Amino acid sequence: MTQKSLLTPSLILMVGLLTICPVFMLVLGSFMDGFGTYEGFTLSKYVTAYTDPGLKDILFNTLIFTLGSASVATILALFLAYMNTRTNIPFKFLFKVISIIPMMIPHILFCVSWALLLNPSNGILNKLLIDIFGLSASPFNIYSLSGMILVEGLLDLPIAYLIIAPAMNSFDVSLEESSKVCGASNLQTLLRITLPVLRPAILASAILVIVRSLASFAVPSVLGIPGRIYVLPTHIYRMISTGFEPDYGQASAIGMSALAASVVLIYLYRYLTKESSRYVTISGRGFKPTLIDLKTYKYPLFTVVGILSFILIILPVIVLLYTSFVPYSMVPSFKAFSMMSLKHWHSVLVDPISLLSLKNSLILGVGGATIGIVLSIFVAYVIVKVRTRAAGVLESLSFLSFSFPGIVIGLGFMWVFVQTPLYGTLWTLLIGYIATYLPYGIRPLSSAFIQIHDSLEESSRVSGAGALTTMRRIVIPLLIPGVVSGWILMATMFVRELTLSVVLSRPGSEVLAVQILRFSEDGMWGQLSALGIIMIGISSSLVIGVTFIGNKFSRIHAS
Amino acid sequence: MRKFMVLLLGMIFATLSLYADAAKAKQEGVANLYANITAIEPLIEDFTTLTGVKGLYTRVSTAKYVATVLTEHAAGKLQADLLQGPLPVLEILKDKGVLTPYKSPSTVGYPEWATKDDTIVQFAIEYVAPIYNKELVKAADVPKRYEDLTDKKWKDKIVMPDPSSHATTISWLVGLKEAKIFASDEAWMAFVKGLAANKPMFVKSFSPTPAPVESGEKLIAISMPKYIITKAPAPLAWANVGPILGSPRGIAIAANAPHPNAARLMMDYWLSKESMNLLANKVGEYVLAPGVYPKIEGIEKAKVIPIRELSDEEIKEWGATFKKIFY
Repeated sequence: MTQKSLLTPSLILMVGLLTICPVFMLVLGSFMDGFGTYEGFTLSKYVTAYTDPGLKDILFNTLIFTLGSASVATILALFLAYMNTRTNIPFKFLFKVISIIPMMIPHILFCVSWALLLNPSNGILNKLLIDIFGLSASPFNIYSLSGMILVEGLLDLPIAYLIIAPAMNSFDVSLEESSKVCGASNLQTLLRITLPVLRPAILASAILVIVRSLASFAVPSVLGIPGRIYVLPTHIYRMISTGFEPDYGQASAIGMSALAASVVLIYLYRYLTKESSRYVTISGRGFKPTLIDLKTYKYPLFTVVGILSFILIILPVIVLLYTSFVPYSMVPSFKAFSMMSLKHWHSVLVDPISLLSLKNSLILGVGGATIGIVLSIFVAYVIVKVRTRAAGVLESLSFLSFSFPGIVIGLGFMWVFVQTPLYGTLWTLLIGYIATYLPYGIRPLSSAFIQIHDSLEESSRVSGAGALTTMRRIVIPLLIPGVVSGWILMATMFVRELTLSVVLSRPGSEVLAVQILRFSEDGMWGQLSALGIIMIGISSSLVIGVTFIGNKFSRIHAS
Repeated sequence: MRKFMVLLLGMIFATLSLYADAAKAKQEGVANLYANITAIEPLIEDFTTLTGVKGLYTRVSTAKYVATVLTEHAAGKLQADLLQGPLPVLEILKDKGVLTPYKSPSTVGYPEWATKDDTIVQFAIEYVAPIYNKELVKAADVPKRYEDLTDKKWKDKIVMPDPSSHATTISWLVGLKEAKIFASDEAWMAFVKGLAANKPMFVKSFSPTPAPVESGEKLIAISMPKYIITKAPAPLAWANVGPILGSPRGIAIAANAPHPNAARLMMDYWLSKESMNLLANKVGEYVLAPGVYPKIEGIEKAKVIPIRELSDEEIKEWGATFKKIFY
């Protein structure tokens, strides 16, 4: 057997082991009388779960919430990525950092900041608008479906940006030039050439955001419950929190619809990008993305992007910083400023568990993302370049744990790991993280692979190189933007991961997000914000570090 | 004289066995507590300093408590030596054989109902009462009876856990009826409907209830007075609207505790007056150790009643009823 023919089955085995086991336990549990006992087959959990008269409204809300979030995230990402990679807008690096910031903030904190800014009773921005325009009532209510969509869209913006930006970056400019030579304007070229060619990246981004928002819990719980708007994850939460011996079987039965939706979306994506050669933009002919001169629009557009970034992303972070200095939850006032201190920062920095969780999260972020990205390179290669039926199976497998609602998937992992000697150690977190968030590595890399023409690999093989050598010498260097994106997505996710951690973390394997949850459950918003900012600091350092290494690596290969 | 000798010998034996336990516990080195109660780090640190046995605290949320413990237990990997949780949770675990009986000498003076079980000791009540922002609510406006919460002036000014799903809130509302706080069941229902008519903002549990009151987003919360201590110096106070109701919190030792002597030592410490003092004054809990109260004005005079534990079926049924009324 050749290296290539062995690659697909061994990857299916590896990814399958990682993702099928926890999901299988949950599927099995959903058909059993007593959850965890695996005795007595029953369909009653499905009947009860799906005959709930309120389910119709919940599914409708979920549909609007996920599609809305995907649209907000993808459109914003397209705009920011286009400005960043294809135009001569000033201060580009700043915008890149801004579009990744929401990835680094603990989601619960981002939601709380937005509630402080836009709650209808005394939201800071609402009050400001009432004062300026003399309004009689608050113009915005964050506890609404549109508020939820806005915040979830912003939180998922980095996923969309990190998939779209590398694709836009490696765009073959000759296509656009041909369009312009034929007399098309910049806008016409954008609509007729640029966006259609970017279809795989746009679809990949939209699908990933839909799947992620389908499993999201922070926004629906912090902003949805006060607005009495329930979506699938909060519906599941309500199901398992009403009583002391929750029926996780019923929760899994409901979770199956999220899983089914994700599998359908993946196949839809594969169908829509079937002729991958249409999207190839890096071939042996050489390419060089050129920049569009914004001319007189340069500074007005910069102002628009700047204001947008400030309101949507920087302001919530400022609220966070402010919260870390005030003694309790206060609206900004003279009194609040006079009471500011470093008390919360001090208590976090001398707390041994907070320090241990910082160390553990850093190990998991760097180690987990590095192992995860190596696995993702192989998986994405098979998905894009092999494209057999088995490759389709591999792609679906990679999404299994990712698309299952977080509240229940953690238990699935616990049931698997408790049978192994790894239980209660950092290894369970490392393996669980990689298994669940594999799509964060695979998606940006798939978009990058799609754009590399087979002729490059064929030339290498004609010259006598094997599949692995071709991958190492030809393919990987061209994949660097995708590798950097995937690594950033994985590392920042692992640093703030909560869903699995809360179930698998034990004394000695505490991580940042669990510590943050503890503060949140004690209502300690000051400590929570201080630790949140430390978390942003760690993630920013990782992002800057890996971007720097990526750029250096690209330059070495270019020369 | 004979009686005295027996008593003396008994005391010597008890002391010796305690020392023997303490020595063995020290050898075991660690005691791991699974708990749903939050902010108990000061007690764990104090236990470690006092006994030389390292106290570990694993926080397990109520929703995942039974599933986590039973999974670990079935696989023979339960890492807990001691388990603290809501009484109904511990009773489920006791039925499944996860817990073992133990009579701690530290329970002297506890109410009889709290120590009548041979395995689970009830040591505190998760007490529920309205808390308000004392800078924004005038003294004259502070509710004095439960019925005052239905006054129209509180419309859109209240925050509370979702009464259709939050088990403790559901039990609290039902407890108000069963404890005959109102003159009749009709009066109780009028209270529930009046509260619902004031359109309270819902959050998922008690922990997010104080923040909107501190910031002035809402004025009153159906919450727990313990936040007055843990959130100090936030301008919070509690409204004495009548008898306070709450769910009992329990603690018990794991049947196959990895460190059985350390488990007993930690149980004795946990139920001691010193530890309960810390729990009352650092965490704000209403504890059952005699004469120990949290430093919250007026709380020592309040009548605090443990509510009946509802079965999961009852919680679901009442949750559905409250959903119709509040939504």
